[in-house]
Amino acid sequence: MSPLSDQHLVRGVDHAAFPTFDPAGTVRFYRDTLGFPVVHSICAAGWGPDDHPDFIHFFFDIGNDDRIAFFYYFGLPAPQVSKGDVYAQFGDETPEWFVRSRHLAIHVDSEDHLLEYRRRLDASQWPVEMQIQHETIESIYTHDPNGYMVEITRALRPVTPQEDLDANLTIDALVDIAQRPGAGMDELLVRKAELIIERAETWQEHQRALVEDTRSDQVAGPEGPVAR
Amino acid sequence: MTHRLFMLDVPENTPIAAVARDAPGVEVDKLGPYFVIASEDPVTIDRRATGARHAVWYSCVGGLDGCRIAQWDKDALRLERR
Repeated sequence: MSPLSDQHLVRGVDHAAFPTFDPAGTVRFYRDTLGFPVVHSICAAGWGPDDHPDFIHFFFDIGNDDRIAFFYYFGLPAPQVSKGDVYAQFGDETPEWFVRSRHLAIHVDSEDHLLEYRRRLDASQWPVEMQIQHETIESIYTHDPNGYMVEITRALRPVTPQEDLDANLTIDALVDIAQRPGAGMDELLVRKAELIIERAETWQEHQRALVEDTRSDQVAGPEGPVAR
Repeated sequence: MTHRLFMLDVPENTPIAAVARDAPGVEVDKLGPYFVIASEDPVTIDRRATGARHAVWYSCVGGLDGCRIAQWDKDALRLERR
C-alpha cells in the first residue's frame, strides 16, 4: 500500500477552462472590471486534428493560486445563444433554474470584500443580477460576456463539524435511494433518518473524545503533565 | 407510533426547534448533533414564528421517522403519521 493511499492530496482548482468568442469582452470583465490579473497565456498554432484552429489560451488569477482559463479559437464562428452560454445552448422549454445550475463560484473572505466586487460589477456593463443569503453563505451573481454565470460568495459563519456529518449522511442516503424508480425527497429523508439513528450518537461521542484529547494535550503540553 | 423529525443542530435551525418545542404535545430532544422533534399527533410548525428565511426553512429537515411531510411551504411545515 502506498503511504499516500489514504491522504487527500489535491490542493484546489488549478484552472477551470471555458471557450470564448469574445476575448476583448472577457478581458474587460475579468481583468478590467473584477481586477483579476492575467497570469498566463499560450499562443498556439492549431495542431493535431487537421481542422484545429490556431488559438490563444489565457488565464486569470482568481485568488489562492487558482485560475480561470479561456480558449479563443481564431475563425471559429460564434453560436447563436438565446438561452444558455457560448458553450451550451438550451431550448426555450429548459427551465432557467436548470440552466443556472452549472456555474462557477469564487470565494471572498468577508462582507466588505463581497460588496467591493458588487461595487465593481454595478459600475460596469455586467451589474449584479441577484444578491442572495443562502443557508450559510451570501452570494452575488452575474453573467460574464460569454453567458457563463459567475457567483462570488462569502461564508456567513464557519462550517461546523456536524455539518460535515450531515452532508455525509445525506450523500449516503442519496446513493442508497437514487436508483429506486421514482424516489424523491420523502424516500431520502426516511433513509437519512435511519442513518442518523445508526450513526449520530456514536459521532457525537467520538467528537467529545476528540475535544477531551485536545484539552488534555493543552493541559499537558508537549513535554507532559504540568506539576501542580 | 411516535413521529420523529430529525433536524441538525446548527444556529439557523435553533429557532425552528424552539418553535416546535412550544407546540402542544411536542417533545424536543437530542440525538448526537440532531434535534429530535417527537410527537404522538400531527405537528405543525409556523414558519413566520421561526423567523427562518426561505433558504433555511426549505432545508431544515434532516430525516423522517414514522411520519411524512404533509405541508412544507412558506406558511408551515406539517407532519402526519406515515
